[in-house]
Amino acid sequence: MSIQVEHISKQYGSFTALADVSLTIGNGELLALLGPSGSGKTTLLRIIAGLESPDEGSILLHGEESTQHSASRRGIGFVFQHYALFRHMTISENVAFGLRVQSRQTRPSRRDIRERVLELLRLVQLDSYAKMYPEQLSGGQRQRVALARALATKPRVLLLDEPFSALDAKVRKELREWMRSIHDELGVTTVLVTHDQEEALEVADRVAILNRGRLEQIGTPQTIYDNPASPFVYNFLGNVNLFHGRLLADLSSQGRGGGEGEANQAAVGFVRPHELEVSRDLPRDGKAVVASIVRIHSAGPQVRLELSIAGNGRPVTAELGRKRFEEMALVPGDNIFVWPQSIRLFDDDGARALLLDQGAGI
Amino acid sequence: MSSRFAIPSSALLQPSIQQRVGRVVLITAALLFLALFLVLPVAAVFAQALSQGLKMYRDSVRQEDVLSALRLTGLVACIAVPLNMLFGIAASWAIARFEFHGKSLLITLIDVPLAVSPVVAGLMYVEVFGLHGWLGPWLSEHNLHVIFAVPGIVLATVFVTFPFVARELIPFMQAQGSDEEVAAVVLGANGWSVFWRITLPNIKWALLYGTILAASRSIGEFGAVSVVSGHIRGQTTTLPLQVEMLYNEYNFTAAFAAASLLTLAAIVTLVLKKIIEVTSGVHQHMEEKEVKS
Repeated sequence: MSIQVEHISKQYGSFTALADVSLTIGNGELLALLGPSGSGKTTLLRIIAGLESPDEGSILLHGEESTQHSASRRGIGFVFQHYALFRHMTISENVAFGLRVQSRQTRPSRRDIRERVLELLRLVQLDSYAKMYPEQLSGGQRQRVALARALATKPRVLLLDEPFSALDAKVRKELREWMRSIHDELGVTTVLVTHDQEEALEVADRVAILNRGRLEQIGTPQTIYDNPASPFVYNFLGNVNLFHGRLLADLSSQGRGGGEGEANQAAVGFVRPHELEVSRDLPRDGKAVVASIVRIHSAGPQVRLELSIAGNGRPVTAELGRKRFEEMALVPGDNIFVWPQSIRLFDDDGARALLLDQGAGI
Repeated sequence: MSSRFAIPSSALLQPSIQQRVGRVVLITAALLFLALFLVLPVAAVFAQALSQGLKMYRDSVRQEDVLSALRLTGLVACIAVPLNMLFGIAASWAIARFEFHGKSLLITLIDVPLAVSPVVAGLMYVEVFGLHGWLGPWLSEHNLHVIFAVPGIVLATVFVTFPFVARELIPFMQAQGSDEEVAAVVLGANGWSVFWRITLPNIKWALLYGTILAASRSIGEFGAVSVVSGHIRGQTTTLPLQVEMLYNEYNFTAAFAAASLLTLAAIVTLVLKKIIEVTSGVHQHMEEKEVKS
């Protein structure tokens, strides 16, 4: 089932939780709502669920206006951050709940309920825990029960509110991979709220990034990572180096694709650590700066160098492959040349992208 | 960390001589105090009640007045306690689950009966429902008796026992949060089945705990009831009032025999309370939550 979010706004007193957010989630898609705390992502999820009502705008479920429908009528499955399992019920009673509370006309027979519960517990690999109580299970197991419970009523939409954030790192990673495979198996339209960019980029078909109640960017993980639409998205998606400066020349006169911006205009440049080239030799075009190595983090497949630019002492982070690092035999204190392979420029207040370039000097 | 900063574990586990002496002294003092002011008086009640022999005790308890006082006390408790369960659940549900204007006022109002002397509570009802009170003329026109009758006693008892259920439930429900109820709603449950299937099972021990406290207070309430009852022997005397009347008549054995019934009720309450605490972990749960938050 598709979900259309149209011009949703929500205000809590003087705090703007959501400001005119519109987006469409396709049938069977897994969309991640990503943003820092207070960005409005959970509010948007609760509005889609019908647990909150928007001040303005509407929610269309499968093309049908549903803004006024109660949560219990929307046919959704919801998974909470802290599981919200019914503590006085066994695991199988928890999963059966959504079926048992249905009105007599629609309620399946006892036998059917039992079979459906067993089927779901098998799906989440907890069939041997049916008679236990939630407090006897680990966090990861509880969240799997919560997922089974949400799926019991065959919802057309599955909404997940930071479902893995209360779990430790290893379980979190396992569980999200497992959840993605469940999604592929069932094909339920899914919205996942998270503040973990790695989780969003890894699991989702598309990622919507929210900041201060506004939609900053929506797109596939690759688009978002490779072409951030704003400095905020750039910063939020991981390590990035910032360069403040002024344009030396009018960008359009440089003849580089998509560039606009006048000479002498203040600008901010973003370069990801792996986009910084380092070498002991000056590059052929001579466009590089000298930096000294402050610290080397060499645990892991990529080696991270913390650098200090000669002259102004600005900190910069660069990443390079382990092999190349070993060839260069770098040690802290070495002076090396640094230049960006690519850079993205925004004007000073971050409102406008000036240049998305794949081969410019600073 | 270097061993220089580590405290030898023996110092933590084994108290010094001074500490041990201090502990013994404190415990002894507390126990002596309890024995003198609690155990001894309670024992004295039973000793006095049984001082004329078991037969005399049985006769005293079986007096018509005592029996009717016992019945009235039971009746009042049977009306006041369920009413308070209802009010208590409604008030705590509202306070723990919703945000509304005047919420802190409501919380304060719930505590009023604990702050006000029961005598004042009784007088308030006399002022409202008494013959010369605000509603008195209207009530007597319709031949309704509140003051110096059973309804007044029930009202006074409801008033003084009002906070017990609510005060037990509010922090408990706040600590539990509304996640499970929201989950139930999303799964398609209506308000009624959310209450019966989720809310009530979750609060049942706290509710029972509060109910027992309220019941114990309603059985033992003296001050407020005394003002509104009118002390009509065999009609509007509850057990605590009966004890006082017998005592004022210098009928000590009968007074203490009746008092021993109240004491027994109190002991039963304490035992039930303890059982609930142990089996349900009501209070442990709340302490854990507080530590976590």
